[in-house]
Amino acid sequence: MILVLNMIFVFLVMFMSAYLARHYIFTLTALYPQKGHPHHTPNDTAYQPTVSVLIPARNEEKVIRRILQRMTELTYPKEKLEVIVIDDASTDQTSEIAEEFAKEHEYIKVAHRSPEDGGKGKPAALNHGLKYVTREIVCCFDADYYPQRDILEKLTVCFKDPKVGAVQGRVTVLNEPNTLVTRLVALERTGGYRVDQFARDNLGLIPQFGGTVGGFRRSLIESLGGWDADMLAEDTDLTFKVYLAGYKVRYVNDAECYEEAVENWRSYWRQRSRWAKGHMQCAFRHLWPLVKSKNLRLREKVDGFLLLNVYFVPIVVGLAWILGATLVLIHPPSWIKILWATIPISVYSSVGNFAPFFEVGIGAYLDGRKRIYWLIPLLLLTFMFNMLICTKALIDLCVSKITGRRQHAWAKTLHNGRGNCYLDDAKEMSPAIFHFFLDLFGS
Amino acid sequence: MHMSVGIGTTAIMLLIYFSLHHILNETALISITIFNFLFIFLLLPLEGPLFQKVYLLVAGNIVGLVWHFIKSSFGAASVFYLGADTFKIITVVIGPIIDLVWIVSVWSLSLSVLASAKRRNEGDGENN
Repeated sequence: MILVLNMIFVFLVMFMSAYLARHYIFTLTALYPQKGHPHHTPNDTAYQPTVSVLIPARNEEKVIRRILQRMTELTYPKEKLEVIVIDDASTDQTSEIAEEFAKEHEYIKVAHRSPEDGGKGKPAALNHGLKYVTREIVCCFDADYYPQRDILEKLTVCFKDPKVGAVQGRVTVLNEPNTLVTRLVALERTGGYRVDQFARDNLGLIPQFGGTVGGFRRSLIESLGGWDADMLAEDTDLTFKVYLAGYKVRYVNDAECYEEAVENWRSYWRQRSRWAKGHMQCAFRHLWPLVKSKNLRLREKVDGFLLLNVYFVPIVVGLAWILGATLVLIHPPSWIKILWATIPISVYSSVGNFAPFFEVGIGAYLDGRKRIYWLIPLLLLTFMFNMLICTKALIDLCVSKITGRRQHAWAKTLHNGRGNCYLDDAKEMSPAIFHFFLDLFGS
Repeated sequence: MHMSVGIGTTAIMLLIYFSLHHILNETALISITIFNFLFIFLLLPLEGPLFQKVYLLVAGNIVGLVWHFIKSSFGAASVFYLGADTFKIITVVIGPIIDLVWIVSVWSLSLSVLASAKRRNEGDGENN
């Protein structure tokens, strides 16, 4: 019995170590990108495909004006652009505000959903919007987002390569100084995008389409059947569908967009619960096709495997913690003590957006941040939270499998528009410079 | 150059630690080794003066040692007041977190110092 427990413990530690090694490689890659793989945005203004921008919005009256105003300020040629606001049966002023903009700008349209059809989640709203799309490339932005003026140029140029099926830009937090949670989310985002996504793109692995600040070839998204409304992480689902279909996703670090991050632990819990359940759904759905696929190289399969299982890591760490403590307490062989000592680093390897503290730190350094490093030890809080969130998500999924109850209740994240007060500063500077000033002057 | 000096410094410090193995347990040694590894391969290659990096590296090691001795002292006091079994359970259960707190904090602090130095240099460059 003890031998079996020891073997399980060793397996769990190996599983965590694989993630540690992966993120260590990512961190080194971000510091020393491969020379043969230029990551800067290709500067080719001659290639400008026609673009449809989808903005799903449900009760977003506090933020919708901001993004629509920004759409009118985009530098992309307006004759090649159409903006479709999907009013997902809003009960506030969202619809009226969107209609105001549609009257003034002919390239802005509003697609309304009836109260019977609406409110079923972002994927369902996006599928509705897809029916109205007439352009070659489909880009998506959430209503609380605030993109750079030239973001479409930076994103769409990647589609010059016919193998690229989707593209993802960078998300940075606008309301960072508001609360501790927004500051920690900002750290997570830094590690997740500046290091993790960047490295995956640079190493030719699987950069993830994040559901917003990105785009697809319209022909591809239509052939894939649009967004799956039954999936809670429809973005991860699409990422793997794109790869399994033989296309690639590119990440463009220069294409930056601000988001309004969740401001309290309750909202954080709701948002991350949805992500965790959705990611686990994707793991159950795509693991086997990923292994069998002939469209992916070995390195993509390995990265895809680790990416799909990333939300199981906090659970594995928790299990290893309990099991390791038990084994150490009941006369362990000495090597268990050594493996036990590796758990702490794995604990931190799972913090936040599942990036280790050194990855987050190096991301902040590459962004030119000055003070935010002081918060890195507090990522332990988000790790503790994620351990509970992921465990509950797994239990919920298992219960729903057994009882046959579907897991597609979409928990909408509420946006209060409090990030608007930082817009004047953010409008004319890049996020890196904006955050440098936040570092200097705080809130 | 910076890496070589860092590796040399770490090698000397690790030799000292191994000679102190009767007062340092394997958990302390592993946590100090992890700190040195992360420092050498992720912080030493960054911009910044060599003496500052070596200073931060040595200071980090000293913090690790002090951390370990404080932890051991608390452990000794806990054994006296709570009994050996209770102490063992507490150490084993929260040990992994406690041992890493200093690594994350000191590593982040070092990165913060290097980032500030880089900013200052960039500011000086612009002023010139």
